[in-house]
Amino acid sequence: MTYQEYLDGKPVVVTAALTGGIHGKETHPGLPETPEEIAAAAAACEEAGAAIVHLHARRDNGERAFSTERFQAVTDAVRDATDDLVIQHSTGGTAAPDALRAEPLRTDPAPEMASLDMGPMNRGRRLTSENTRDTIDGLHAEMRERGIKPELEVFNDGHLNESFRILDDLADPPYLNLIFGPGTLSPPSPANLQHMVDQLPDRAEFNVIGFGPHQLPLTTQSLLLGGHVRVGLEDNSYYRKGERATNEALVARSVRIAEELGRPVASPAEARDLLGL
Amino acid sequence: MTCPHLEYREGDGSREFETARAFCTVAERFVQPVRADICTERYDLDPEADCEYFREHEGLDWDE
Ligand code: SF4
Repeated sequence: MTYQEYLDGKPVVVTAALTGGIHGKETHPGLPETPEEIAAAAAACEEAGAAIVHLHARRDNGERAFSTERFQAVTDAVRDATDDLVIQHSTGGTAAPDALRAEPLRTDPAPEMASLDMGPMNRGRRLTSENTRDTIDGLHAEMRERGIKPELEVFNDGHLNESFRILDDLADPPYLNLIFGPGTLSPPSPANLQHMVDQLPDRAEFNVIGFGPHQLPLTTQSLLLGGHVRVGLEDNSYYRKGERATNEALVARSVRIAEELGRPVASPAEARDLLGL
Repeated sequence: MTCPHLEYREGDGSREFETARAFCTVAERFVQPVRADICTERYDLDPEADCEYFREHEGLDWDE
């Protein structure tokens, strides 16, 4: 979790966020939505060097689904299509009630990891993902019961406080995902990323998300700071200005940059080791 | 009540989908999956209270 770790050539874990819940094919025709499309994207990303896939589920009409049944269909398809990827389910919500948001944790087998939002996030003018402490603690308790490693989603500085609140309850290493973008996310800048990293405890591992055009520079900065990276169409539709991306092209670019910078890319097995799965 | 401006359509003249998707006849475009939660009043969201397109169409401002 330091520049020294970069110098030492610590392996980097690449997570592919294939789908997300916010936009769909109305925004990017190549965005995978069905279990089969998501599975094919996962396989391509594994081939390109991803160790973890972050999964959402959709209804047939592209709208977001939280049901265990739909997550089961997605996770079964991904497991069939891939060799060894670590599977991470999203529990992040918009206004979905808590009971529904726990459903992605209840697949068989349970996902090895799941996202755990550390506080509220606004979307549009009147839509918010609340993430009260009760919600956080409820989801966290269920994750612990099922042996699922939480990835703490830190949308801004204040969410570091919430992360520190539960730090003692987390198995080593705590895994925090620092997220930069518009609205109530941390304003995207190298200085803000450095500032967040400076506040993390030594025992933590961190991952970086930059939305849209911030994906490339901020994940590259994470490589230099000994952190991990998440890329994919959930966070960024474009490879470069005016050119739509694919999930595997975004993963392949991260892998190339990591290797150029002297950070070997972790296999899924190495990622399990590093993250204590 | 689902928003009266919501329709499920398979195409909009420039693109086609196999399964009909949420289309807003006010904005004249397909809506994002998360926006459809408002359009369909899923999770107690309400177009009149929560949708800026709806409110603008009805001539409501945010202080009302
Ligand atoms: S976007 Fe707003 S106005 Fe359009 S269908 Fe949805 S709720 Fe109705």
